[in-house]
Amino acid sequence: MANRETGNVLARFNVGDRVRVKDLPNLFYSRTQMYVRGVSGVIASRTYQSLVPEDEAWNRDEAQPQQFYIVRFRQKDLWEEYPFDNDTLQTELPEGWLEPATD
Amino acid sequence: MQSQHDHDHAHDANAAHRAAPMVDEISDFEVLEIAVRELAIEKGLFTADEHRRFTEWAESIGPAAGSRLVAKAWTDPAFKARLLADAVAACREIGLDWAEPTGTGTPSDYMEFRVLEDTPNLHHVIVCTLCSCYPRPVLGHSPYWYRSPNYRRRLVRWPRQVLAEFGLQLPPEVEIRVEDSNQKHRFMVLPMRPPGTEGWTEEQLAEIVTRDCMIGVALPRPDRKADDPRPVQPARRPVESTSANRAAG
Repeated sequence: MANRETGNVLARFNVGDRVRVKDLPNLFYSRTQMYVRGVSGVIASRTYQSLVPEDEAWNRDEAQPQQFYIVRFRQKDLWEEYPFDNDTLQTELPEGWLEPATD
Repeated sequence: MQSQHDHDHAHDANAAHRAAPMVDEISDFEVLEIAVRELAIEKGLFTADEHRRFTEWAESIGPAAGSRLVAKAWTDPAFKARLLADAVAACREIGLDWAEPTGTGTPSDYMEFRVLEDTPNLHHVIVCTLCSCYPRPVLGHSPYWYRSPNYRRRLVRWPRQVLAEFGLQLPPEVEIRVEDSNQKHRFMVLPMRPPGTEGWTEEQLAEIVTRDCMIGVALPRPDRKADDPRPVQPARRPVESTSANRAAG
């Protein structure tokens, strides 16, 4: 909630950067949806800094906040045989789930 | 009447008969909510009447604020620019404070809100695949279908088919952008102002911006207001209930 104030970590990615969502194991709680894992997209905007859900869910207030981003994916990259070229999907992800895309 | 009486008599003779419970299902979360609420009242954190008053307020919020935002953006380009740049600040201009009622928003509506602008080539639609995140301060509570697994799992995978089920078919050239609001941002769609509304006042425009237009499953139309009468089919065999019948019965 008030993590905007505590957020002072250096953001690693810029708008326009191509990133890939890491496919990390689930430990109890996450808000990183399975359907975006391992898929590459583009940073659409840099949003706020906050505890990640994996820490916040357990009141780990001492954990390091992370930069969050809205990432835009092509539907064709998310779903095999998606028939419409132009369609996209956006969702918000913490930096720890993202790495530079190599594809 | 005689046959009806015989039937009832036979029924009463069935000793095993028990009435079905009025409510056959209560979720774990409902049980938890009642337990926590009653504990909080016992501990004096708030009274039952205070809880009732908050519930009364929480259930009174609706999509009127969202409609006003859209209508104002349609008529005032400078406001639209402010709305797209910082939606939480723009909400304060129409008297809506996202910090209510706790000072940091409701416990699950954070102070992060973005308005998604539709263009002739881009149509937005919102969903929360994890559960039910929804811009409640501006749109009120989400409709039942918005929270259903059916909508949540299918909108991200087959958006055009789901929109078609709502009666909205868009040409393939128009980019459909699904916004999955599964973190702290809340989103609302700013649809395009439809033709045929030239010269309308802000109040007139707000009337055609219905809740579904701001979720993105419908488009505003000049001939359709939120409080228009719905198409209804009359009952084919209505119960005849007149005072004469009741007296005779």
